Amino acid sequence: MSQGQAPKRIGSLSFGLMDPEEYREMSATKVITADTYDDDGFPIDMGLMDPRLGVIDPGLECKTCGKHSGSCNGHFGHIELAAPVIHVGFAKLIRRLLRGTCRECSRLCLTEDERAEFRDRLDTTRSLGEDLGDVTKAAIRKARKASQCPYCGEKQYDIQHEKPTTYYEVQEVLAAEYSETIAAAMEGRPVEGEDEDVEREPMAPTDLAEETGIDLSRINEILSGEFRPTKSDRQALEAALDVDLTEEDMNKLMPSDIRDWFEDIPDEDIEVLGVDSQKSRPEWIILTVLPVPPVTARPSITLDNGQRSEDDLTHKLVDIIRINQRFMENREAGAPQLIIEDLWELLQYHVTTFMDNEISGTPPARHRSGRPLKTLSQRLKGKEGRFRGSLSGKRVNFSARTVISPDPTLSLNEVGVPNRVASEMTQTMNVNERNLDDARRYVANGPEHHPGANYVRRPDGRRLKVTEKNCEELAEKVDPGWEVSRHLIDGDVVIFNRQPSLHRMSIMAHEVVVMPYKTFRLNTVVCPPYNADFDGDEMNMHALQNEEARAEARVLMRVQEQILSPRFGENIIGAIQDHISGMYLLTHENPRFNETQALDLLRATSIDELPPADGEVSETPQADGEAVDGEEDGTKYWTGRTVFSELLPDDLDLEFEGTVGEPVVIEDGQLVEGTIAEDEVGEFGGEIVDTITKVYGNTRSREFINEVATLAMRSIMHFGFSVGIDDESVDDAAEVQIQEAIDSAYERVQKLIKTYETGELESLPGRTVDETLEMKIMQTLGRARDSAGDIADDNLTEDNPAVVMARSGARGSMLNLTQMSACVGQQAVRGERINRGYEDRTLSHYKKDDLSADAHGFVESSYRQGLDPQEFFFHAMGGREGLVDTAVRTSKSGYLQRRLINALSELETQYDGTVRDTSDTIVQFEFGEDGTSTTQVAHDAESPMDVEEIADRVIDAEFADEAERESFLRGETGETNLSEHGDTWRSPGSAPEVESDD
Amino acid sequence: MVDVSQHDLVPEHTVVSESEIDDVLAEYDIDRTDLPKIKRTDAALPDDAEVGDVVEVVRDSRTTDRAVVYRLVIE
Ligand SMILES: [Mg+2]
Ligand SMILES: [Zn+2]
Ligand SMILES: [Zn+2]
Repeated sequence: MSQGQAPKRIGSLSFGLMDPEEYREMSATKVITADTYDDDGFPIDMGLMDPRLGVIDPGLECKTCGKHSGSCNGHFGHIELAAPVIHVGFAKLIRRLLRGTCRECSRLCLTEDERAEFRDRLDTTRSLGEDLGDVTKAAIRKARKASQCPYCGEKQYDIQHEKPTTYYEVQEVLAAEYSETIAAAMEGRPVEGEDEDVEREPMAPTDLAEETGIDLSRINEILSGEFRPTKSDRQALEAALDVDLTEEDMNKLMPSDIRDWFEDIPDEDIEVLGVDSQKSRPEWIILTVLPVPPVTARPSITLDNGQRSEDDLTHKLVDIIRINQRFMENREAGAPQLIIEDLWELLQYHVTTFMDNEISGTPPARHRSGRPLKTLSQRLKGKEGRFRGSLSGKRVNFSARTVISPDPTLSLNEVGVPNRVASEMTQTMNVNERNLDDARRYVANGPEHHPGANYVRRPDGRRLKVTEKNCEELAEKVDPGWEVSRHLIDGDVVIFNRQPSLHRMSIMAHEVVVMPYKTFRLNTVVCPPYNADFDGDEMNMHALQNEEARAEARVLMRVQEQILSPRFGENIIGAIQDHISGMYLLTHENPRFNETQALDLLRATSIDELPPADGEVSETPQADGEAVDGEEDGTKYWTGRTVFSELLPDDLDLEFEGTVGEPVVIEDGQLVEGTIAEDEVGEFGGEIVDTITKVYGNTRSREFINEVATLAMRSIMHFGFSVGIDDESVDDAAEVQIQEAIDSAYERVQKLIKTYETGELESLPGRTVDETLEMKIMQTLGRARDSAGDIADDNLTEDNPAVVMARSGARGSMLNLTQMSACVGQQAVRGERINRGYEDRTLSHYKKDDLSADAHGFVESSYRQGLDPQEFFFHAMGGREGLVDTAVRTSKSGYLQRRLINALSELETQYDGTVRDTSDTIVQFEFGEDGTSTTQVAHDAESPMDVEEIADRVIDAEFADEAERESFLRGETGETNLSEHGDTWRSPGSAPEVESDD
Repeated sequence: MVDVSQHDLVPEHTVVSESEIDDVLAEYDIDRTDLPKIKRTDAALPDDAEVGDVVEVVRDSRTTDRAVVYRLVIE
């Protein structure tokens, strides 16, 4: 966006309190009546809908600015409060100020030295950019400790805060029964409230008068209750008689008292508390004027029946005005103090809930229907609030959402877009001589026929809708200089996204392929980065609206640019599931194919010519492979590995240990040895994909992945691949063996239990006998399942589809196979055998304290055999734990993610390589402390980077001969680890002046 | 007591001289307070480090061999 288009530029923001005078000045009108509209439906003057507060009805004119609805932003009004009221948002600050300042002279109860100390600490915290709250809190804590004001000497009382807005001063006053207490003490009796055995010397009135210095007659008057002792008299009496004549009294501070108190706080004192006295005075916290938000901020809605329905804020303001008026009337009529105080409290309640209706301890103000009102704070807070809902996130145009489904014929860079979506999302064409014909054709097609257009904009700026009726006519008018909003067509770049967008690869750019039907289509290899499947998942698409965005998306966000994950530096896109089974079938036993078959396998790839044949079928089948079925002698054949090798770059050399545990050897782009499966071409760090991406680039890698996927699909279709429940059954002999293995485990468990019961079981170090028994039983049963699994494993052939999937890493594991064909095994809750349920037993089917395997959730059956009812129940218990775990984990990690994103979102890598936050504080001196990108550098703990080797390779490639190289290397060497601007910053003025273009 | 600063995994922390600090600050065009911070009580700090000093931390790096960073000592 160009700068000139911004209507206004924000220079600075300042936060502070508002002077009540300022409220009055900015107010368009004083609001005195709670009524909104008169009988004719016109807003009442000085009412809550006063036309000076702005207009919402179209056609009316604003009485303040003269503009119409839409262009008038609205204007604040104000209510003169009958009595000061506390602003809830500042309840804590009020408490702190009351506690920290003197009740008499309002000065902060800190000595000059202490003030200086806190001022210094404030300065350092400010310059470190840390939270000032800690310092001001410490200052208040210190000031609160002073029992006397260091300036006027006044005794300070504790302040109690009753949430939300009531403050009490805890004072010591003369107890009501002071005369009785004195009399009792003089007679040596225990004083009320004291223990019976307290001993006190009796004291005659004369002695007391002497000791305290009070007149004898006065003492008698005090004793008779005719005279209340003064403060000094009281203290003297207390000292002489060793009694306490006071009781605590909660003296409520009214908002007006607090306001008076705060008015006297000197400016320099609040500066010590980190408050800018130029902008904020503490007395402004206590409201005397309430601003009335403009009508535009609380528009009323006209219902179908013509009735007006007011905004929640208006309702709340009505309450405030009503109480305010009653308050004034009562006060003028001289109503008793009690009534005045009640009304005051009510006014406080309404003003409080006007600002925040979710304060703990205060019942929320409700609508007539019982729904709590949404007041100011509720508009801002939370997910749907102004910040998170309207400012950080908004709804956008040019976006579409629908169900996704797979399409293996698409490239991984593409996305199939339903034609109805394509006709709705548009791209702006700037018509010129070269695209004029296209533009006219789109317009002529109209809005309903796919490569059409929905709008045109004439050079004079007028926007016209293209309709079925006017499209032909309009098409002829289109000329260079016009803009045509044409439909999405094949090859356009769009952004594609699946929530939750947890990492960069959750939003990628795809090229459009317009298709029939109603779902988005995507190649299955992009499922891992989006974490998508096709069980009803929906995804979002965004059509880009300017050249800059389209270029950025194409260069930076296209799927092929995201093949390497920044999380672990290896490929996140690669073959999955059936692709892997297919590659395994193709390469594991290296089968042979005749020419037709080989060509068929490669038909969807870019390979259109077969390599030289691997051999000819001969009479005697060769050892390394079977003869192609039914082929005549002398027919050429190609092996699976040869076919696969066609996809590899010609000069690729690679050697590593593969998925099945055998070495994979690639020489000169030929797979010499090894099976292609998960670790070779799979999604998370498939070695071949990873190497091709890093060495040959993203485009080559994209081609490779696409072709692997299509070759794999062809090959799995060639062999045929299906799994059924019968594939997991084992023969009778194996079944017997499995049963024996389990039975013997049961016996061993029984033996363990017996030794435990006879007390002969020896505990393992650091464990109790009970724990030892549990551990040993778990171990025994675990081993039983494993050996059952091994038996089943031996019984299942290598060409068993489930075995193929498990071995190749396509799906499932040998454990899954064990559970299906041999034994499900021990069910666990919280890592232990199942121990909960009834008293001393898990289910009522078992005897109490039965420690046996089946009473604690050992599932002996296999999934194929089916579980008996108890087993089923235990299995459900274990399964439930897993479900709860995932549910809890996702919510926990979601919150954690939000916190992390918020904490890190403002960090930015600068052009000098440093990572800084918005206040220029350095977080890292070099990105990642090494300035390298995870996706550009291949290294890990085992194979560290060989910097010299890389340097040699670069230098070798750079220089034609030794002499050139020598002359360059002898030249000047620059400093390292310096920022890009290091030199220019060091010597200001020496940098070449850069022309600014504005 | 174990002196963690001698531990293998604790990188070298040394107090930087004033003139060197000026170079660093000039290089990155920052104020002293824009540096990352380290608490005075941090066990890895040398004993002579005082609040307001800048320490240089030299870490071993698999990728760059040596990674040098600076930290401001705070209370
Ligand atoms: Mg799903
Ligand atoms: Zn207006
Ligand atoms: Zn005072």
